[in-house]
Amino acid sequence: MSDVPFKNLGWAGNTGEFDLSEEEVRGDDFVGDRPAHGGHASGSATMPYMLAEKNPEATLFEGEYQERFEKILTRYPDKQAALLPTLSLAQELRGYVSPESMDRVAELLELSPAYVRGVTTFYTMYNKRPVGRHLVQVCTNISCNLCGADEVLDAFLKYTDTELGETSEDGGFTIIEAECLAGCGFPTCVQINSRYFENVTPTEVPKILEHLKSEGDS
Amino acid sequence: MSATVTLTIDGHEVTVPRGTTILEAAKTIGREVPHYCYHPGMSSPAMCRLCLVEVEGAPKPMPGCVTTVTDGQVVHTESEQAKSDRQGVLEFYLVNHPLDCPICDMSGECNLQDYVHEEGREHGRSREPKRIFGRDDFGGDVLFYGDRCVMCTRCVRFMSEVEQDHRLTVVERGNRSVIDTFFEEGLEGTNWAGNIVDICPVGALVSKDFLHKARAWDLDHTPSVCTSCSQGCNIDLHTRDNLVQRLKPRENLDVNGWWMCDEGRHNYEWINKGDRIEAPLVRDSGTAKAVGWKDALTGLLAAAGALDGAKIMAVASPLASNEDLGAFRGLVEALGGGDTVYRSARAESEVVLKGFPTLARRKDLAANVHGADLMGATRVGGDDANGGLDEIAGHSGVILVLGDALADQDESFGSDAALYVYVGTHMSEATGNAHYVLPVTTFAEQEGTFTNLDGRVQRFWPGVEAPGMARPAWFVLGAMVAEMTEGEGARSAADAFAQLAGSVQAFGGMSYDDLGTRGAVVNETVSLAGD
Amino acid sequence: MAYPYVSDKEVRILSTYFGDPKQRHLDTYVERGGYKGLEKALGMGADEVVDIVKDSGLRGRGGAGFPTGLKWSFMPKDSSRPHYLLCNADESEPGTFKDRELIRWDPHQLIEGCLIGAHAIRAQHVYIYCRGEFFETTQVLARALEDAYAKGYVGENILGTGHTIEVTVHAGAGAYICGEETGLMNSLEGKRGEPRVKPPFPAAVGAFGMPSTINNVETLCAIPHIVTNGGEWYRQYGTEKSPGTKLFCVSGHVNKPGNYELPLGFPLQELIDDVCGGMRDGNALKAVIPGGSSVPLINAEEVSRCTLDYEGCVEVGTMLGCASVIVMDETADIVKQVRRMVDFYAHESCGQCTPCREGSAWTAKIMRRIENGKGTEEDLDMLMDVTQKMVGTTICVLSDSVAAPVQSSIEKFRDEYLARIRRGERVGAA
Repeated sequence: MSDVPFKNLGWAGNTGEFDLSEEEVRGDDFVGDRPAHGGHASGSATMPYMLAEKNPEATLFEGEYQERFEKILTRYPDKQAALLPTLSLAQELRGYVSPESMDRVAELLELSPAYVRGVTTFYTMYNKRPVGRHLVQVCTNISCNLCGADEVLDAFLKYTDTELGETSEDGGFTIIEAECLAGCGFPTCVQINSRYFENVTPTEVPKILEHLKSEGDS
Repeated sequence: MSATVTLTIDGHEVTVPRGTTILEAAKTIGREVPHYCYHPGMSSPAMCRLCLVEVEGAPKPMPGCVTTVTDGQVVHTESEQAKSDRQGVLEFYLVNHPLDCPICDMSGECNLQDYVHEEGREHGRSREPKRIFGRDDFGGDVLFYGDRCVMCTRCVRFMSEVEQDHRLTVVERGNRSVIDTFFEEGLEGTNWAGNIVDICPVGALVSKDFLHKARAWDLDHTPSVCTSCSQGCNIDLHTRDNLVQRLKPRENLDVNGWWMCDEGRHNYEWINKGDRIEAPLVRDSGTAKAVGWKDALTGLLAAAGALDGAKIMAVASPLASNEDLGAFRGLVEALGGGDTVYRSARAESEVVLKGFPTLARRKDLAANVHGADLMGATRVGGDDANGGLDEIAGHSGVILVLGDALADQDESFGSDAALYVYVGTHMSEATGNAHYVLPVTTFAEQEGTFTNLDGRVQRFWPGVEAPGMARPAWFVLGAMVAEMTEGEGARSAADAFAQLAGSVQAFGGMSYDDLGTRGAVVNETVSLAGD
Repeated sequence: MAYPYVSDKEVRILSTYFGDPKQRHLDTYVERGGYKGLEKALGMGADEVVDIVKDSGLRGRGGAGFPTGLKWSFMPKDSSRPHYLLCNADESEPGTFKDRELIRWDPHQLIEGCLIGAHAIRAQHVYIYCRGEFFETTQVLARALEDAYAKGYVGENILGTGHTIEVTVHAGAGAYICGEETGLMNSLEGKRGEPRVKPPFPAAVGAFGMPSTINNVETLCAIPHIVTNGGEWYRQYGTEKSPGTKLFCVSGHVNKPGNYELPLGFPLQELIDDVCGGMRDGNALKAVIPGGSSVPLINAEEVSRCTLDYEGCVEVGTMLGCASVIVMDETADIVKQVRRMVDFYAHESCGQCTPCREGSAWTAKIMRRIENGKGTEEDLDMLMDVTQKMVGTTICVLSDSVAAPVQSSIEKFRDEYLARIRRGERVGAA
């Protein structure tokens, strides 16, 4: 890894024979602040962000988010198919999917609340309880495991002074293990909210955490 | 392509309609392939993997519940391979099962017990700690013991496909999956949830009403018909110690499928109510005296004979069997004829089982309203089954009452009657003036038939013994009529029904043998004016 | 160029522009010959396109290796009901990271492949199902799609040809089982992502009950090239039964992990020693999983004989799968890694089928016990038997995937297990 001052660590841009900037790899001209109204309807059903700022009481939905919700509905033949994108949208605003959120989404899509609960709990990414500003997901599956993922996980736990699966005292970080994130060529792969961090080693962990605290980043 | 398929199952040649599954085809030769998630009334997810059978030429074991038969297919359900597969699946079921049979209500009628006893390994090999879910109250009558659950999802599918009120779901995934409701919402407000206790193959879903009440192997099962409304769901009385312990639906695809409603299911306590009239009573100068049947009937016949020409007013009950009502009608006629009325409770609306829409909890809240109508009785009174008897209450001629509890009437009822005969099961304020009280049986204590709203005549059998000297009304009244008309009194319910078939054209041509356990529909086109 | 290392042994077709950020831009893509395949395909009948793909011998790149042209030909030839093309971008198989690179470097290649595929199967709507974790990757795709819509390559009346094809990018929410084709369909429909029983097959009853075809990202990315250059052209690479090139995702204990596009049939030993720069720190090779965690492990001797095509891998007792090569050297702790893989499957099992639901968790518990030094030799025989009961008895093959690492590691690395059991000894550090 180079010592180039970083905005976000681990874009793997200068691994091997490449010398790319982070912007070039992430495609900052493509990946940036995504409009809350979802942009073109064809992409409206993707999960835009996991935001650091969350409001568990946010209205589902109003303003630009209502606009995106309506765009999502146009892409599927029935309302039930819009369930995953709608739950993701609710989670973007509220930070997690509470029973009240399940009930409200059920109401919006004319499904039964019990059904929505069944679907929500099936998927790992829907948080069943509030998480810290930054959800740190460390891949410990085989490819990263062979290259020291356990040490990276321990480093995150140590430097945030948290237990696995719990949130740090200051509410800043929740650390969990993740299954393969599809970044196996760049071990250890860590996802923090929406962002992938690649080639993470234990020595980089404190720097990453400092950077996140200072930027208040998403 | 022909409409049937011929295949071989366990060495037997079987011919079934095209599209039949292997599991259903096996049933036709009496082979019940073990299974959990399959149920003919719902969709088939083929997920329990217990019904895996060996099909020659197939690369892996096939689930019998969804694999359709093909010509020339050779299926083995009992081969080494099939048994080994089943044993393997059964072992997986027991890895986390609590094996709490000693305290589980399902014991004795449990598919897991039966299958494992039949084909399971002698010892489970798992030494790992079991996962725990604990007990959950789903609301209504349903308790859920999560540890016992085999995740067949019959309950989830019943609620979503049959009742069409999606209240249950699988929460989480993998080994962490468990059945649950939407938090506190539970099953409140549903009408058919009792059925999920029936279809649960193990003791995961149990009835609170039946909890720890009786052991399955102590219960006797008697085929019967539910009396709570005019649908006439086929049921079984489960009895022990001469008491009805619970009701269960009995399969009849023409009436109730495999289901019954919660109201009907829980309406059985009244059958066990004690304090019955146990002997014929004669009122002699103010006091009621118990007498034997011979004295009672002889005295009654004499009294009736002395009142030649008095106007008869009769009250029947929609809970009385066709045979009872037929004999009662015969009595009224033999005494000179008169109007018969009946009262019945009535609900504001039906509650249809959306996934089996020919089944509903009907508005008429008694089993034999249709039978009463066919016998020429007229309905009176309100939807609460009260009122309509003002004229009769003060009648000075002959009052005959069959079955109606007269709960809304007071001690003045029948005080002016020349002859008041009460034929029923319990005394009340309004029976005080009866000159003769004849104790009879409830439907649970006699053989008989009811006619449901569609005109289907269905048989029921006695599940408990009649108390004291109580006898079926058709027997007692039939004997009286026979005396009066010099005819033959019916000696059996079948005889009584045959007599009915001879006198009421709607029942014309029917016999108990025709009805069997599934019933048959009356000839509706004939009106009573014609007979 | 493949990413992040290049090798002159590579034959770059799909990965030509890996590492070139300009390729995401529509005008650059078109300048470089992009969307010519689409133009050509739209000028032909659907069945003609299917024939070209059949000629090429392209096999599904998601792991099953089913001939793509044949799969497309299963679709009904009339369009009385809506047809759907589903692109499986739910890349979750441990060791696999090619689809992410394909999408984030060359999104238009995928879009063009989807459009041609939709035309070939008479579909009017394409859903690209991306795993939920791919926030940034999906954003790149969604933005590229926006540009393509704006310039008339997608949507109504594409390039004035009168054809209408809509494309929607759909995000999952974290479930490996949604990479299974029928699990994906259920998830798309807003249900729990539980696989369905087959038959009926997707071409008869698929997404929303309509005829559907599902293809992997890499498969669809190959399509524009095949349609443009012809089936014969594609066959010049690879072997007779496994034609074409494949993106090999190499991870683990090699010096140069990454994606390498090579002709199928490439020798595995050469991939490790030459293309990937050999074992890190010069350590000895212990084991390789050539096709993602769901295929059996092979030892060093088998690696030396293994060619990376569908048939070659079967010959050494494993499978090519999605060609995710996980390399383990002498420092690897086989017991721990197998335990981690079984934990993965137990975590990801959907829970429908009893052998998988109970068996995966049971196997995981036994593996943990062995890893913690509390195992017995009987446990090894029991693991072989229990996992064997999980093979062929379930709706989907996640259950079979538990058996692969467990059985192959016990067979080939029994001594490591025994060391753990008898002496509590840990072989290897990682």
